[in-house]
Amino acid sequence: MNATTLFSAPTAAPSTRATAFQPVIELRSIEKVYQTKTIETVALNHVNLVIHKGEFVSIMGPSGCGKSTLLSIMGLLDEPTAGVVEIEGRAVQSYSDKELAALRNHKIGFVFQSYHLINDLSVLDNVELPLLYRPGVSGKERRERAYAALDKVGLSARTNHFPGQLSGGQRQRVAIARALAGRPELILADEPTGNLDSVMGEEIMELLLGLNRDEGTTIVMVTHDEQQALKTQRLIRFFDGSQVS
Amino acid sequence: MIRHLFTLIWNRKRANFLLVAEIFFAFVVLFVLGSLLVDNNRKYTAPLGFTYEHVWQIDMDPNGQPISRQDATFQRLMQHLKAMPGVRSVAATRSNTPFSFSDSSTEFKAGSKSTSSDIYSGGDDMQDVLSLELAEGRWFTPRDEVATRPPLVISQEAREALFANEPALGKIVRTQDDQEFQVVGVLATPYRGRGEFQELKPAIFRRSESLVDPKDSTNFDRPRLLIRVQPTATAELEQRITKEVAAVTGGWKTTVTTLPEQRATRMKLALAPMGGMVLVCGFLIFNVALGLFGVLWYNISQRRAEIGLRRAIGATGSRISAQFLGEVMVVTTFGLAFGLLVAAQFPLLGVMGIQLPVYLASMGLATILIYVLTAICAFYPSRLAAGVRPAVALREE
Repeated sequence: MNATTLFSAPTAAPSTRATAFQPVIELRSIEKVYQTKTIETVALNHVNLVIHKGEFVSIMGPSGCGKSTLLSIMGLLDEPTAGVVEIEGRAVQSYSDKELAALRNHKIGFVFQSYHLINDLSVLDNVELPLLYRPGVSGKERRERAYAALDKVGLSARTNHFPGQLSGGQRQRVAIARALAGRPELILADEPTGNLDSVMGEEIMELLLGLNRDEGTTIVMVTHDEQQALKTQRLIRFFDGSQVS
Repeated sequence: MIRHLFTLIWNRKRANFLLVAEIFFAFVVLFVLGSLLVDNNRKYTAPLGFTYEHVWQIDMDPNGQPISRQDATFQRLMQHLKAMPGVRSVAATRSNTPFSFSDSSTEFKAGSKSTSSDIYSGGDDMQDVLSLELAEGRWFTPRDEVATRPPLVISQEAREALFANEPALGKIVRTQDDQEFQVVGVLATPYRGRGEFQELKPAIFRRSESLVDPKDSTNFDRPRLLIRVQPTATAELEQRITKEVAAVTGGWKTTVTTLPEQRATRMKLALAPMGGMVLVCGFLIFNVALGLFGVLWYNISQRRAEIGLRRAIGATGSRISAQFLGEVMVVTTFGLAFGLLVAAQFPLLGVMGIQLPVYLASMGLATILIYVLTAICAFYPSRLAAGVRPAVALREE
């Protein structure tokens, strides 16, 4: 299957909530088991979850309960041992590496706890990165979209800096700008404030809330911070690989 | 993407410096060795100007016979050998026979032009013995014995050096001591008496049928002959020749060798240092390859998080592999750029006295080899990078 036929061309974020309740991603009976020669670890046990367009969902739970594994499966970075992942109504388990990569590139933006910026690239080059893997986007368009994304996160004055010259909060803003540059429908944030102090954490949280509120970006966030989780529209709790609320 | 790779490598220039330096030195070593090999190959494939198969060399020791009697004995011996079954032609010669380690050269002048030329001595049958081809004129004959000026047969290189585009036949040529010679023939090819690895150089043959220089009786040679034998000749002919020499000369000692044997000895001596250089160079390149392989492997293990990130934002496994391969190619390009800059100085400064086309061919060969080497070294680590599981790599940090 040609990856470009899997979905429509990326469009600007919706300006209204008219599209709410359309599922962006649906997980059905997801199981993830890590198997070694001697031990079998169940990371996810029969998880059913639907994320709707425009939602801001937070996932909480103790360390090792399977939150990050769930996020990896939602982000098509990992395969479930059993169950079905559907993106916009299409099951993806039969997709090739190329098709999955194209889906990730067009539909999903990632924000990580440790930012995962490339230290040898400038802020602008880091933000442009997802567009490098998108055929048909010219260099000029890449620049423009990267500048626009950096403007959104308030870092347009830092385009030529390198990650090492930025504070933790600024780095996370760059990571968010990188996720935004591809104009994804879904942002998966894995403990985005986990490495930041409370003030910077608050800034990042406000930024994510603003993106969801103003641009209608669907966000799924894994967090340990109850206060931040309560600010989102839906809170899902996990324990020992199962959804408990 | 290419611009991205160049940006990445440029921004990592300090980290990549040693890799660039390693590639630079590997290139320079390959270029120098390549220049020597290509130059030797060019010489090897150029025409020798003579054939050596079925040609025997007979060195004789007069065993105390007075010099005044040696010449007559030598002339008589040649007549006897020519008459022997199995012998096709016999020519007197001097010490610098084909493939020998004896050189003789002198300065010749013709009008305003002059050249340093290898000088060879050949009897009247030498043309047949060595299958020398003439482009114009003739070879030596017995009538040249009474010629006003001693005759010369010159090679194409000598003709070009002394006469440029003008006719050479009949022209007078002088040595530095003003001895005059007359050109009677021009060879159709170069003549490279020292063998396949001799550089092209003007060559001139002068007639030699006697051991003693007629104009200077103190100048004489040990008797030496070149004989073209029939292709069917065996060791039995060698024995007969030895006996014939002993019978005709009254006890001269004889050593018979063949030109193919002489050539083999010469080749061994020419190829041994080249083989040594290739071996040392091969060892160096192998070490460079191991180094590159190790560095690339280490790089990939250090950049697992980056690989995970790139996979997360839309890179396929093959794209990751291509990126790492591309990075190595960019680093190689930087190393080669510096290497080519240094290599370009060789022809400009005339470092090894090799012709420009040889340098250019060596630059091309060394460039291709280095690209192939680095691509091979990068292939497996790049495949490893492609196999990194993004979910795991992103969680590691």
